[in-house]
Amino acid sequence: MTQEAPQDVESVLTPEVKAMIGVAGEVVESWGTVDVEYLRRFTQAVMDPDPRYWDEEFAKSTHYGAIIVPPIMISYMTQRIRPDAEDAITAAFEENPMSDGIGSVKRPGELPEIPTHLVRTLNAGNEIEIYQYPNIGDVIFFQNRYQDIRERVGRDGKPFLIITREITYTNQDKALLCITRQSSIRR
Amino acid sequence: MSAPLEELLKMNREEIQSHNERPTADELRNKTQTYYEDVNVGDELPKYIYSPTPTHLFRWSAAIENFHRIHYDLDFGLNHDKNPSILVHGSWKQSVVPQYLKDFTLPKGWPWKAAFEHRAMLVPGDTLIVWAVVTNKYEKGGMGFIEMDLGMKTQDGVESMPGSATVVLPLKDGADIPYPFVPPTD
Repeated sequence: MTQEAPQDVESVLTPEVKAMIGVAGEVVESWGTVDVEYLRRFTQAVMDPDPRYWDEEFAKSTHYGAIIVPPIMISYMTQRIRPDAEDAITAAFEENPMSDGIGSVKRPGELPEIPTHLVRTLNAGNEIEIYQYPNIGDVIFFQNRYQDIRERVGRDGKPFLIITREITYTNQDKALLCITRQSSIRR
Repeated sequence: MSAPLEELLKMNREEIQSHNERPTADELRNKTQTYYEDVNVGDELPKYIYSPTPTHLFRWSAAIENFHRIHYDLDFGLNHDKNPSILVHGSWKQSVVPQYLKDFTLPKGWPWKAAFEHRAMLVPGDTLIVWAVVTNKYEKGGMGFIEMDLGMKTQDGVESMPGSATVVLPLKDGADIPYPFVPPTD
């Protein structure tokens, strides 16, 4: 793939699209806290038997001093449907009886749409950076941000966008827990 | 010593399974530290082997409250989305990576960062091999940094998650890795 659109190809990295770089959403508090039951279900589902997740006496004796929690586990707390929100599953099927089950219900903290005519979306990759293990009882806060938007040209000569969305996760003490990034292709 | 990935991929599924190096709870409890000096460029990390079933997929969907039908509704997957079967979650794959790095760096190293792409569709019945190879190492700020290529291949050698990672290991005569982790500045 070439880096940038040639001169005779209309760029899709318009000033309006470029202006979205750095745009951040509100800081959102996830529903609930990091709790032992979610930790048990998550670590069993990912098949990690580490006693640092469930043996309190052992965990206290380790480098971390307490039960630890996989940082990526808290990233899924952001998609929880709040009890005071509409039932997103029912809404999705009312909107479309052939819904894929996740529908188009907006979640808190979402970023504004990129102003582009390109509609097809493909996953281009993920990143994670880990700085501190969450602990039981933590309240999780997250914030979305458009970290980068770049233009590339495909083999078909048509330009497309690579949009990287960054999510920063902190706790009630404003400690940085982890950062995730998801890049998607819009063409 | 971990069986080379190249050799594993020549084996049938049962033979691949017999080379599974996923640690038990007791092995994680008693794990001894791998130091920066113990690692060489070209070293292969242990191989984690998985054989996901529809029930494993359902359990993951429930755990993280992912209601996407492509992961549990076979009729929807086959006939609406035209997938080969219900699909292994990308979210599960990417959650295995930090676990894999954490296990390698225990008890006092740090699984700092990873990047990966999602490629081939994975389905129940696949045998999955999580692998990593050390590509670079360097010292900085009194800590040892190990860079590696990693991925998740199927029994047929198809790479479903090409990626890379950087972990931090203590030096044999060095200080503990700081916790919370603070990367050294340039």
